[in-house]
Amino acid sequence: MINNPIGTLSLSKREILRFVSVANQTIFPPLVSSVLFMYIFGVAIGSRVDLSSTGLSYLQFILPGLMTIHLISSSYENTSSSLFIARWHNHIQEVLLSPLSYFEMVLGLLAGGVMRGFVVAVGVFLISCLFTPPQIFHPILLFYFVIMIAVIFSCAGMMGALWAEDFGMLSMWNIYVIMPLVFLGGVFYPVDLLPPALKLATAFNPMYYFVNGLRYSVTGVSDVSIYTCVAFSFIMAVCFFFATVYLFKIGYKLRT
Amino acid sequence: MRNSEIAISIKNLTKFYGKFQALDNVCFEVKRGDFFAFLGPNGAGKTTTINVITGLSNYQSGDVKIFGFDTTREYTQTRSLVGLCAQEFNFDPFLTIHQLLVYQAGYFGITPWIASRRADELLDRFQLMEKRNSKHRALSGGMKKRLLLCRALIHDPEILILDEPTAGCDLELKFLIWDYLAQLNKEGKTVFLTTHYMEEAEKLCKTIGIINRGHIVRIGDKKEVLQDKSLEDVFIEVTGQE
Repeated sequence: MINNPIGTLSLSKREILRFVSVANQTIFPPLVSSVLFMYIFGVAIGSRVDLSSTGLSYLQFILPGLMTIHLISSSYENTSSSLFIARWHNHIQEVLLSPLSYFEMVLGLLAGGVMRGFVVAVGVFLISCLFTPPQIFHPILLFYFVIMIAVIFSCAGMMGALWAEDFGMLSMWNIYVIMPLVFLGGVFYPVDLLPPALKLATAFNPMYYFVNGLRYSVTGVSDVSIYTCVAFSFIMAVCFFFATVYLFKIGYKLRT
Repeated sequence: MRNSEIAISIKNLTKFYGKFQALDNVCFEVKRGDFFAFLGPNGAGKTTTINVITGLSNYQSGDVKIFGFDTTREYTQTRSLVGLCAQEFNFDPFLTIHQLLVYQAGYFGITPWIASRRADELLDRFQLMEKRNSKHRALSGGMKKRLLLCRALIHDPEILILDEPTAGCDLELKFLIWDYLAQLNKEGKTVFLTTHYMEEAEKLCKTIGIINRGHIVRIGDKKEVLQDKSLEDVFIEVTGQE
């Protein structure tokens, strides 16, 4: 599948160095907002929320959700902005003229989104140690979910960048679709607290499975079967990845 | 290389942009080691043809091959054989010009230390060494033209495709580019050049092809095409444009 490892690594390196070089725009803002979320919801309000049924404090409950929110937005923003700017300036031609296969191009561009998502998720977890004792129930599963979610939303970011015609369209998916679904996916509340109709609706929200997968990995508590979360995130990651490769192959908004 | 004698082979190439037919059944070949001038008025189909050869454009029908490799099915092989010096300045704004060349070489499978050495050689050859650690925005128009050439040459391609490389250049830069292209061709590289400067094509090229409204209207050896006329006269005769 990879015939040009140096080429793929070069593209990956360029994508990773790009977000690292502007860390004050890419890494620190989500960490600052996490501190605020943890303070407001975890410390100020959280002590009044009764989650005794889960055996977790409110901060422990929302931490995996906060990690998911920032993991998703960082992965999405990285690939969407990088690819859209490359289209905008037309320096995407540097990649399109190269002998990288479409699979390798997507893999290289993906690396930046996955790495940024990973770094931010780890950062949010480390910051939580200031407010609550650190706990990871299943480190391997946690790594698995962080990577799967980052792959899904890095690919979504690339699709968004290909679809968008201007910067407004670029952020539309994130603002109007992804973030509302994440917030309604059980980040701040257990689904059992919802009325039956909303509970049923939540089961159709894909973010619900990502939030619960991560929550199980960190706390050992989940509203839904962990096997369902593992399988769902894997299938989604594979589908999104190959859909993105397909868009590159047909040259969707890349070739005239 | 599968076919070492024919560098570029185009057969029955047809390309539409929506309902507009940009290329109509275009057929021609460029031999290995040739210096081929591809001429035509604005909108004739020159850049579209280049984009098809390099894989930047899809097309509706026809066969396009580079040294016998199909540009659609075997694109990883064909792209490694071609270097494109485009018309527009399309550089990554986040990188210095040295980084830009090293990354570009990397995409072609060249290791960073070899790429860095080759980038320095090219920057030196095109008098850009003092701007090595600057971003492209700090470069003048002529310097950007030279950087486009450096980028096209960084992976030492067999075929160099140049889309109006001297447009907007001063005389000194024009002669520098001409000398370098002539030298490359002498070393065995195939050069495919589009230009609006007839004296450029007449001076440098061995073979001339003229395209008008998506059709090849004249093609052949330079002597055969000119037949004791100037290239400008031939161009006006076959395209009806001055």
